[in-house]
Amino acid sequence: MSPAVRKLALIVHLVLSMGWIGAVLAYIALDVAAVSTDHETMRMAWAGMALVGSWVIVPLAIGSLITGLMMSLGTPWGLFRHYWVLISLVLTIFATAVLLEHMSSVQAIADAMQAMGVSATQGSRGGDFMHSIGGLVVLLLVAVLNVYKPRGLTPYGWRRRLVSASKTAEG
Amino acid sequence: MHMTTAGGAPSGHGDYPGTPRWVKVFAVATVALVVVVVVLVLVGGHGAGLHNPLGGGHGG
Repeated sequence: MSPAVRKLALIVHLVLSMGWIGAVLAYIALDVAAVSTDHETMRMAWAGMALVGSWVIVPLAIGSLITGLMMSLGTPWGLFRHYWVLISLVLTIFATAVLLEHMSSVQAIADAMQAMGVSATQGSRGGDFMHSIGGLVVLLLVAVLNVYKPRGLTPYGWRRRLVSASKTAEG
Repeated sequence: MHMTTAGGAPSGHGDYPGTPRWVKVFAVATVALVVVVVVLVLVGGHGAGLHNPLGGGHGG
């Protein structure tokens, strides 16, 4: 990956990743409204959560994952060489998988509230804080790992480094 | 994954130096967190979709 392309990919990746965190914060704000005692506020909040989740958070998550893979595979960092990259990848895949699985529930609750009213959806009275706060914590953890880049090669990364060093010495 | 250059990795030869301490701490913290979440889910229910009248979600 050339420096210009790498810089462009980095900008796209940063925008998508930070946008994901920002969208989750907006989702949490709606989540707070979703525990309101006012039925109309609850209904609107769940409808908003379904919209923000499906049309903003999911695309940002998938885009962030794809650009993250491009960045790691297109640079010397690699995907499995450094623990911070590997852990970031695992956490991002986990967060995206939970998100994709969970959004059908949120959409179903929003649809049920629209169709049958708030009183018919008793199970959603506690909001969706486990997913929204949990997701935010995971994303912030990934951001911290990506900024600090703590040292540590995986066994695979160590072997690759030794092979590369021996090739350099021979050549 | 925000990456710029591949700096910051230790250079060296010979045996693998072992898993870094921060990775071990992270692994222990993750396992503890998973246990707490599993206990919370088992004790307190799962939140969204738990009693969804339209049948979507987890159906718990």
